[in-house]
Amino acid sequence: MEKVHLYIDGQEIISNKGDNLLHVARKNGFDIPGLCFHPRLTPTGACRLCVVKIKGRPGTVMSCTVNVEDGMEVVAFDEELEAQRRTTLAHILAEIEDSYNDKHIDELQPLIDRYDLRDPSKRPVPSILDKISRQIDTTSPVLQYDSGKCIKCFRCIKACDEIQGKSVLSMAERGISSYVVAGVKNWGTSECDGCGECIQVCPTGAIVEKPYLETIQISKIKQKVQTTCPYCGVGCQIEAWVQDNTIVRIRGVEDKLPNKGRLCVKGRFGYFYTQHEERLTHPLIRKNGKLEKATWNEALDYIAREFNRIKQTYGKKSLAGYGSSKCTNEDNYLFQKFMRLVIGNNNMDNCARLCQSSAVAALMRSLGDGAGTNSIEEYAQTDCLIIVGDNAAETHPVTSTYMKQGKRKGKKLIVIDPKITPLAKYADIVIQPKIGTDVALVNGMLYYIFQENLVNYDFVKNKVEDGEKMLQELRSIAMKYTPEVVKEITGVEPELVRKAAIMYATAPSAIIATGMGISQHTVGTNNAQALINMMIITGQVGKPNSGYSPLRGQNNVQGAGDMGISPTFFPGYIPISNENHRKLLASVWKVPVEEIDATPGLTMLEIIDAAEKGDIKGMYIMGENPVLSDPDQDHTIRALKNLEFLLVQDIFLTETAKLAHVVLPATTLFEKEGTVVSSDRRILRIRQVLTPPGEARPDWKIILDIAERMNKPLGTYHSPEEIFEEIRQVTPIFRGVSYARLEKEELQWPCYDENSPGTPTLYLEKFSTPSGKAKIFPVEFIPQAEQPNEKFPLVMNTGRMLNQYHTATMSRKSPYLNQYGNEPYLLVHPSDAEKYALKTGEIVRVVSPRGSITSKVLISDQVRPGETFMPWHFQESPANKLTRNEKDPLSKIAPFKYSIIRIEKIE
Amino acid sequence: MENKFPKIVTRRFGMIDPLSIDDFIQHDGFQGFLQAIRKSPAEIREAIKQSGLRGRGGAAFPTGIKMEATATSAPQETKRFVVCNADEGEPGTFKDRYIMEKDPYALIEGMLIAGYAIGSHQGYIYIRGEYLSSITTIRHAINECYKHNWLGKNIQATGFDFNLEVFIGGGSYVCGEELTLLESLEGKRGHPRIKPPYPAQKGLWQKPTLVNNVETLVNLPYILQYGASKFREYGTAESPGTKLLSISGSVEKPGVYEVPFGITFKEALDLAGSLSKGKQIKALLVGGAAGNFIPPSLLDLPITYESLAENKLTLGSGAIMVFEDSVDLHELLQNILHFFKHESCGKCVPCRIGTTLLYEKAKEPLTQENLAWMIEEAKYMARTSLCPLGQSPLIPLQSFERFFNL
Repeated sequence: MEKVHLYIDGQEIISNKGDNLLHVARKNGFDIPGLCFHPRLTPTGACRLCVVKIKGRPGTVMSCTVNVEDGMEVVAFDEELEAQRRTTLAHILAEIEDSYNDKHIDELQPLIDRYDLRDPSKRPVPSILDKISRQIDTTSPVLQYDSGKCIKCFRCIKACDEIQGKSVLSMAERGISSYVVAGVKNWGTSECDGCGECIQVCPTGAIVEKPYLETIQISKIKQKVQTTCPYCGVGCQIEAWVQDNTIVRIRGVEDKLPNKGRLCVKGRFGYFYTQHEERLTHPLIRKNGKLEKATWNEALDYIAREFNRIKQTYGKKSLAGYGSSKCTNEDNYLFQKFMRLVIGNNNMDNCARLCQSSAVAALMRSLGDGAGTNSIEEYAQTDCLIIVGDNAAETHPVTSTYMKQGKRKGKKLIVIDPKITPLAKYADIVIQPKIGTDVALVNGMLYYIFQENLVNYDFVKNKVEDGEKMLQELRSIAMKYTPEVVKEITGVEPELVRKAAIMYATAPSAIIATGMGISQHTVGTNNAQALINMMIITGQVGKPNSGYSPLRGQNNVQGAGDMGISPTFFPGYIPISNENHRKLLASVWKVPVEEIDATPGLTMLEIIDAAEKGDIKGMYIMGENPVLSDPDQDHTIRALKNLEFLLVQDIFLTETAKLAHVVLPATTLFEKEGTVVSSDRRILRIRQVLTPPGEARPDWKIILDIAERMNKPLGTYHSPEEIFEEIRQVTPIFRGVSYARLEKEELQWPCYDENSPGTPTLYLEKFSTPSGKAKIFPVEFIPQAEQPNEKFPLVMNTGRMLNQYHTATMSRKSPYLNQYGNEPYLLVHPSDAEKYALKTGEIVRVVSPRGSITSKVLISDQVRPGETFMPWHFQESPANKLTRNEKDPLSKIAPFKYSIIRIEKIE
Repeated sequence: MENKFPKIVTRRFGMIDPLSIDDFIQHDGFQGFLQAIRKSPAEIREAIKQSGLRGRGGAAFPTGIKMEATATSAPQETKRFVVCNADEGEPGTFKDRYIMEKDPYALIEGMLIAGYAIGSHQGYIYIRGEYLSSITTIRHAINECYKHNWLGKNIQATGFDFNLEVFIGGGSYVCGEELTLLESLEGKRGHPRIKPPYPAQKGLWQKPTLVNNVETLVNLPYILQYGASKFREYGTAESPGTKLLSISGSVEKPGVYEVPFGITFKEALDLAGSLSKGKQIKALLVGGAAGNFIPPSLLDLPITYESLAENKLTLGSGAIMVFEDSVDLHELLQNILHFFKHESCGKCVPCRIGTTLLYEKAKEPLTQENLAWMIEEAKYMARTSLCPLGQSPLIPLQSFERFFNL
């Protein structure tokens, strides 16, 4: 970056050439006023407050519209400029209601005092507020707008457009009558999804949050805590405002990755669960078939007795545990330590098993690390993004804003999904294959890559293990996927496949991002592998803005895996067979090495299968809700009911907790300290905002309490930081990370020592496989074992909605989120709706070989003929009652995305 | 009085059927373009510079210099555009409409020359939405040109390609401002852009763009056909050529009159006939709402850029509104200030709020004190507004104060 010297009021300043002058001036302490400028937005030049003089330019100029140049001489403050600013500010005040109600951040108020305009009689121009018709829009579920407080700075409109890529807001009317409008009429009827980016940037409180609007008093808020959003794996940095031990507002942290101020509707308005009246506040013990309130002492005794009894009666392999992708690294680290030392086996897993385990398995064997290669900002920089089977706009909303920004800059976007997702309208190419045909589709792309000679031979030769040989093997398979074959299997026009293949292979850089549509199949590993093969032979990895990133679902699903909540891996993805590492663990844990079990445990669904069979007798479930989240609900419930002892530790009495023998009240992420790892391997702090309700305890403490009660204490830890210090010792990829560093640095693993800046992009030097080279694993298309038939003629896909989250335990506690959708629906293609005489809104029975549920029908061409879609959030119509408990051979993930169903009319 | 002055822009008016391309060709049509295409683009630009032609939309910027800047900025750019500003919105101005309806092919020829001169192969004519007849005529002419290979690929086997499209404005005064016009042309809301960059650097779709008024472009074929020196035979050294005046108000024959630069206002008004019996001229408003009041005492002033500038006046678009002594000037001022308030796009503070403040003040009795307040306000607006609209109210207000006693 070229440096330039400029002078502001005589002071020499060194800056990057082309930087925004107002931004540079402010950074260097020149407090030039300005209300329409925002560092995250393009300059507007509307408010006219940031006037300066620049030598050689006539008159005054708006500093927000100027880029700095070498030798520039700027006058930021003199009498004339200040007088002009005062006049302009008086003009702004003339059209608004400028009283302050202590309910929002107001950038205008300090300026009113600074320019001595508080007293209306001192203002050079009269108010014209009564000459303008005031527009108040309260139709949004989450916010309200008052044109009487709006200075028409355009920040909200630009934020909706430039940052969120939604373009819902615009200016209505013209001139003095103009006001901000959503859609064509108002917020309530518009496409606004409630992300609140407009609120975040509004300088005058014209747009404000509805929650707590009556009670909030900004001057009373002493505590604004920076922490990480508890919802998805993006890891947005949030600031929680606390008034009277209640979170009353959430804002995005402006200057920190991954989100840089952005949030989605869940992050901004989904915090109500933590202070909800249904929170668990006391331990519960099942007595006479009913869960009854108990003391911690009773509960811990009960748990220790039961775990010890089962261990002694049936052996240590008869117990199993689920760690939690919603809990912190520290919680999960202690959980796996508990399972490995106190229980004494590897029968543990976390929900990554049902999420990205297949993609992770493929990535690990091909590239060496089980994580996404790229940092979030690379989605806006890559030349070509292929997003496959991931509805990022709803499931990773903030990540999708980077994708849309890339598209805005002219980068290419290819969306591949059997369901048309909101990102499709931004895409250069949209491919809608039949569900479960991804390998055929991608091999079809490979066919064109070979045919058009787009293979990166240098890369294959130098960076791929047995490169030339494997390339030939891959070619011989790919050439079977001719356009005719691929069209037959996938239903996709060959020309689209060809265009996508060429666009991807010829782009200077390219990222593949995948979601559940790739991973949640019995061929999940193959799906990911096919894409990885394509990435390798085109050399679209091992360089900036290129690679493969499985977008992670839960806020700490990455971390739970990193912490070794796994039947086969110790923390840091060290195989449990690694003798040296076992010794290291034994020395750190101060136990004999033979106490650490080196035989693989059971995976998530294998544990449930074993429970049903009676091989697993007791379970410890921390922050998971398998009754709703595991496939084939009847089977899950049968298995859990079959247990002699089930311990559930959660924040609510979930559908799973209702089956437990003991339920322990845990804390939310707003009530404890710790760290989590985001989708882009970013280690992020969780900071305590609230005191836990009742007797709820942090998960890490509960684990320690149980261990102690079982006479197998796990060690002495006074804080999560002390746990983290131990994590560093045994987890090489975390070794360089510390709480102290996280206070001032943004770190992404691997970070091997204190001097390492972390690794935003993986494999820039070499791959993490033993050979340092990437590996190709050719894969073939395998048809789904379950095919539609006369009894079950349709295929059902499952997924998520923007405003609800997973089993909705948290999201459904927010009355604000619920207003955007709070009931199940089944998307049915118009042709099928006609075939079965269905109407939108009609309640039907949806039946699969596993069971039946009811749902409302929505007729929509977002799905292909013969295919349907249903969100799985709703306990009253659990989609997972219909899904099947089969497993991908390598990763043991279940095919949530493909179930045969029929629709029955309800008379 | 009959207009016996020599004609450039209106030379075919009434002599041809505006719908007939044959008629146009038979009356020397496309001769300027055919002359131009034999020369290099740089030579064309030089010829335009030599002619001294200045923009006829109101700002009077030298056309050749604008062309040079557009042709040579950002050499790596492969795309450049010619945009004709036919969003004739200045009150009292209706000359471009006459041109488009009476000699539409001349405008197309002008655009072909401009396109060739700056290396552009795509032009747009942005026509005011209310000009239904102009839109129909121009569209017809464009279709004819495509049919007869005066537009499209390899025009008349010259190897030059040029496409032309009509864009219809949505009825906003500020879209006549060139950068706002380009925003609108891109399909966005009619809000002014931050300047610089100018259109010559980053115009339509961020590509170098030549934006010219209809009348300006229609001068080009004449200059190319007859040469810059012939063009300079009309008008004065600093204001060569002719000007179309839109004369309206208290006159016998309101209309468009082409006159050589250098004749006086009185001579120009004589063309439109006298006032009704017993009436006197109270004021002229020259250049529309954003124009100057001129008192009867200055009727002998020659119409040239230089003589008007000497008197701290401007010609603007060439609109001359004539007001007789019965007109209430206060009401007129209110009308003008209401126009600005109504047309302010609202993007920047000084204009959005200033135009409202001015109009509100204008509703009060027109005292010296109030007028002074308005001028102060308008001065503030002129210093701080984003685009010419907010800078405009000062012009009528100041000339009003200068020439009329309260």
